[in-house]
Amino acid sequence: MSQISGGHLVAKYLKEVERVGIVFTISGGHIENILDGLTQYQIRTIDVRHEQAAAMMAHAYSIYNNMPGVCLVTAGPGFTNALTGIANAYLDNVALVVLCGRHPLRDDLTGALQEMNQIDMVKPVTKWCATCYDIKRIPEYLSIAFRQATMGRPGPVFLELPPDILFVSTDEKSVALPVRRIHKTYVQPDPSELEAAARIINSAKRPLFIGGSGVRMSGSGDALAQFIDKTGFPFALLNNGRGALPDNHPLCINDGGFTGIMTGAPQADVIIAAGIRFNWVMQATKLFPDAKVVRIDIEPHEIDRNRASDVGLAGDCGLVLSKLLPLVEKQDHGEWASKLKNAYAAFLITEQEQRKNPSDPIHPNRLVAKIMEVFGEDAYYVADGGDTSYYGLAGFSSAHQAGVLIPAGALLGCLGTGIPFAIAGKLSHPDKPVIVLNGDGSFGFNSMEFDTAVRHNIPIICVVNNDCAWGMIKHSQGMSLGKDRTTCAELGMRHYEKMVEGLGGYGELVTEDADIVPAIQRSVASGKPACINVVTDPTVTSPATVMFYQNFAAI
Amino acid sequence: MKFSALLFVLYSVLKIASYTNSAFKKYIGKVSAKVLIKTEDGERARMFIFDKGKVSSFTGDQKKFDVALVWKDADTAFSVMSSKKKDASFNAAAEGKLKVLGMSVYAQWFEDGIKLVM
Ligand SMILES: Cc1ncc(C[n+]2csc(CCOP(=O)(O)OP(=O)(O)O)c2C)c(N)n1
Repeated sequence: MSQISGGHLVAKYLKEVERVGIVFTISGGHIENILDGLTQYQIRTIDVRHEQAAAMMAHAYSIYNNMPGVCLVTAGPGFTNALTGIANAYLDNVALVVLCGRHPLRDDLTGALQEMNQIDMVKPVTKWCATCYDIKRIPEYLSIAFRQATMGRPGPVFLELPPDILFVSTDEKSVALPVRRIHKTYVQPDPSELEAAARIINSAKRPLFIGGSGVRMSGSGDALAQFIDKTGFPFALLNNGRGALPDNHPLCINDGGFTGIMTGAPQADVIIAAGIRFNWVMQATKLFPDAKVVRIDIEPHEIDRNRASDVGLAGDCGLVLSKLLPLVEKQDHGEWASKLKNAYAAFLITEQEQRKNPSDPIHPNRLVAKIMEVFGEDAYYVADGGDTSYYGLAGFSSAHQAGVLIPAGALLGCLGTGIPFAIAGKLSHPDKPVIVLNGDGSFGFNSMEFDTAVRHNIPIICVVNNDCAWGMIKHSQGMSLGKDRTTCAELGMRHYEKMVEGLGGYGELVTEDADIVPAIQRSVASGKPACINVVTDPTVTSPATVMFYQNFAAI
Repeated sequence: MKFSALLFVLYSVLKIASYTNSAFKKYIGKVSAKVLIKTEDGERARMFIFDKGKVSSFTGDQKKFDVALVWKDADTAFSVMSSKKKDASFNAAAEGKLKVLGMSVYAQWFEDGIKLVM
């Protein structure tokens, strides 16, 4: 009779049922047996330096691979450290499986080490959470966790595994592994709703398609491509949906960044919003009060949030688009699309000039353009920061799915996501360059993960947009409090490149335009995780800061 | 001439609204912005200055602004700016008759402000 421990059973399930390849973790006594199981079942572990980063890496891994990312954290502080990352995945609707240690059941209410009520704390930021009490039910609980994370609208799940079930053993044969089911039945809209949507789509004169994370999560690339090809709708792909069709598609308006949408949406007579929530990222209801709106969302209750839709189509984006396909007419909106592109280009003249012309000090828009000059579209980009997120969003462009991610621009607005995302990006796409543009403030949160990158040989390239300040905050305080009263907003000049060198990576400081490209090229040649610390103009801010300030000013 | 007069009238309306129109007063109450409106050749130009509730203005081309709306010529500027059509500025931008320099978010802010007083 062969015995298996609870910890090994966890690993066995992950490997044999879910085909998990990587687990992001930090060790801890409570989870030792799972870690040993990961070794036994040859699942790669990426052991990081802060549990927040483990959750963020697993979150990003889920986006890059369209399968749930898994992180494993220990009880108590391991758990609380991971909370920010879990909350981020929750607001980002990303499938994340968090496995967590717990004080022994036996020791409940005795003041055990790291004893705390984790479940009540995590409940509001998870789609599902539970504690498993029986070693034999470990596979069943894990199966529920993965199903909950991935089915319907995805989200993070949390499974607490106490030592009482991890460190004991049971007869391996007595525990059957559940099947991993892929359903062939989907929620889909009624034909009358599809026809109503098609009527609106067919009558559009100035349409715009806006796709969000749901478009990419549903793997709807083909259906989307056919839909766009047939309807001729110009489109923008936002959030984690960026790259479901390449940025350089002739009908894509992503090169206009947010200005493209700000310019086009108010003029559009029909908007199709697919897999995207109408929240602050979309300025809720303000942008297109007059357009007819067709919403496609896997979550029916999302459809009329903040703005009533003319037609709401509940279902998986790819499926709904393929159902719409035979009902929509072949159209050519090329004239409207080029008009739209010309219009927003007229609003971006200054940004284009900043990209084209060298300046001293370096303008962040120029820095982004220089990074693009080195890597082009065949690369993965992440940006993290306040103003820095805007510069990255507006200037980066990629031919790949999720090729440009701006995690701090998501609902949680969480700084520090950039380096963990880039590490997950490089693990997912080892043969492509992965570049993160980091605000110097944001760099501070998870820059110890350069140690992780060095230990695991994950050569990301981090370019710090160093304005020696929490730029977005400094500039918005300048607008509200006055430039002479800014507070807690200055950081000073710091040699982040030396810090990375000290951790075993490659580092360079850049202060002049002409040195940007050679420094980046040398960092690539080094083959190491690299930090190029670029000193940029501390006086400039981005339109995002102005918009946030205007929003607050209107309160 | 018509364009310069229009800009002057616009300034007067905004100035009066900054005292009398409570929605507009709230709208501009916390914002500082310099909005330049001019023709491409710089012959006609007026700067609108918003300083946390106060509105002032003067004529003449300027280098320092938050946003500049640069019109191809005065006639186009007049006809678009006095038009009630929602797509007038959009069309002008698309046709190369309007360029927006600096930060275009201020142009949107300015346009939304005008809607409150017109
Ligand atoms: C975790 C976290 N802490 C604080 C904030 C508030 N915040 C928003 S933008 C910003 C400044 C970011 O500075 P930096 O990363 O240097 O980027 P920059 O704005 O200079 O481009 C801060 C502190 C936040 N969004 N997230």
